[in-house]
Amino acid sequence: MRAPDPAHSGDFQVAGAGTPIQQSSLWRDAKRRYMRNKGAVVAGSIFLAVVAFCIFVPIFSPYDPDEVNFKDAYLPPSLEHPFGTDQFGRDLMTRVALGGRISIAIGFAATLAILVIGLTYGSISGFVGGWLDNAMMRFLDALYGLPYLPFAIITLAIVGTVNFWTMVIALSIASWFTAARIVRGQIITLKQNDYVRAATAVGARWYRVLGRHLVPNTLGVLVIAIFLELPGVILGEAFLSFIGLGINPPDASWGAMAQEGRQVYRTHTSVILIPSLAIATLVLCANFIADGLRDALDPRTKET
Amino acid sequence: MALLEVKDLQTHFFTREGVVRAVDGVSFQVEKGKTLGIVGESGCGKSVTALSIMRLLPEPPAKIVGGSVDFDGIDLVSLPEKSLEGVRGDEISMIFQDPMTSLNPTLKIGTQIMETMEEHLGYDKGQARKRAIELLEEVHIPNAKNRLSDYPHRFSGGMRQRVMIAIAISCNPKLLIADEPTTALDVTVQADVLDLLEELQGEHEMAMIIITHDMGVVAEAADDIVVMYAGQIVEQATALDLFDNPEHPYTEALLGALPQIEGAGIREGRLTAIPGRPPDLSDPPPACRFAPRCPYSGRGDSCSTEPPELREVRPGHWVRSAHPASERAREPDPVGAPT
Repeated sequence: MRAPDPAHSGDFQVAGAGTPIQQSSLWRDAKRRYMRNKGAVVAGSIFLAVVAFCIFVPIFSPYDPDEVNFKDAYLPPSLEHPFGTDQFGRDLMTRVALGGRISIAIGFAATLAILVIGLTYGSISGFVGGWLDNAMMRFLDALYGLPYLPFAIITLAIVGTVNFWTMVIALSIASWFTAARIVRGQIITLKQNDYVRAATAVGARWYRVLGRHLVPNTLGVLVIAIFLELPGVILGEAFLSFIGLGINPPDASWGAMAQEGRQVYRTHTSVILIPSLAIATLVLCANFIADGLRDALDPRTKET
Repeated sequence: MALLEVKDLQTHFFTREGVVRAVDGVSFQVEKGKTLGIVGESGCGKSVTALSIMRLLPEPPAKIVGGSVDFDGIDLVSLPEKSLEGVRGDEISMIFQDPMTSLNPTLKIGTQIMETMEEHLGYDKGQARKRAIELLEEVHIPNAKNRLSDYPHRFSGGMRQRVMIAIAISCNPKLLIADEPTTALDVTVQADVLDLLEELQGEHEMAMIIITHDMGVVAEAADDIVVMYAGQIVEQATALDLFDNPEHPYTEALLGALPQIEGAGIREGRLTAIPGRPPDLSDPPPACRFAPRCPYSGRGDSCSTEPPELREVRPGHWVRSAHPASERAREPDPVGAPT
């Protein structure tokens, strides 16, 4: 059960009464609901900690992440090298952080690309409706058959070069379909709202209706979708790098580092263990965060 | 020359179960500055008529298959959507039944009021804000200046309807359509909102169409009244004439279902209910649509064979029935009719 919310109970202001009652805005309510989900709060903190780790460790690290020094190869974890070193004697902590930068950046960039494409496609389809909606959705149904990773591999092969942006394209090109469907469904639901009809009746033009009343109200779902899509994209990047199609050495990404560790996993387990743990932690946290955001931004679906 | 002239309007819904003739040949006029009341029970086509005028019905399934809507010299039925956007809000505005859902819950009241003015009058933020405060004061919302930045959930139902009215009149429309404006409100608030509408009508010289199932509402507010039944107009007269001398058996029944507290000629005894239910508009009765529920329709008359025409029984009073009250006196009493 929920405790009665003080911000909602004293709703009425007496005419001319001085100070306005404290505003309870949409986002403040959302934050309050998010904070109630302990798992999501913990996951969010860990997620932020991992991101901070990746940002700050390379800045303050005394080691050059690319400098080869065979004398120090495969050092076990110690005070100088908290995670040990790899086959070239490079500090693993610095490299994990650098790899994390790339993995997380690719993850967010591809997720954003997915959402932008999905939002555009879905809102056109849902808003215009009629035969166009039908045609666009059937086209999507056809695309749905495309397997995501093989398609990403083919895309990389066609583009030819592997860098940050081609990875983003490869990871988003075959994974925006669900986002488009979610947005279309939202737009169609929102279109039925009385206030949309009322706004039209008092003179809101179509782009106002779309831009003010429909798209902003899909924002909540989209924020949730970011964290729902993120694990898949990060795993996809890791997979591509692991099989050697992704980020190339000496650049690091978590997938590429796990690949380097794969050859020596019996003797030097930490080399594969650390990037793998990082991937697992981030993916797990993203799922918990998505769960908490759903409670926060779409409160009608929970309260079970 | 009337401000709004609806001629033989026909709006049909094309559904899987067949064609529903929701509005079937409706004609009326609204003069500048006057109020027309459209009365009828749920599903008689009154809202669809209004939404057809505004062209707000989803097409498909709805389609205006015939007739014309002439507003100030423009035919709204054939107007392209782009031009319609210029008419809505600017020339004709509409408010709806449920004020609780008519405002976007995620936008501040001020944003929603200013939106229309920035759009249609080309106001900048400052002008629109100033005018929004004036409008809120005009619809009697206290502390208007501070309430602009409030979200709709901080307003009561009556206040939200006032805000809707403020938005609707912000561009000085020539015609305001109010679709059941008071139905969702408490009785005491209903009267306030009606008074407000009348007050604003005078100030802004607007014509109004008030759609309602509540005879009390039109009695107070309307100059002329149209009674609709099953997608057709069954009676049309000035408000005074209609209340004093209802002609159509359906209108009589509606008035009979209205409690009276005082006044001359007060009816005694129980309130009357109308037996039966409105016809299915995908398959209406072949002739007179009210015949199955009409106490006066009987054997030997044309009610079930020939659709009655809307005819003028006396100047300005139109009725679609074979048995209008003023003629019934001269007929022999059919068996079983109430005396």
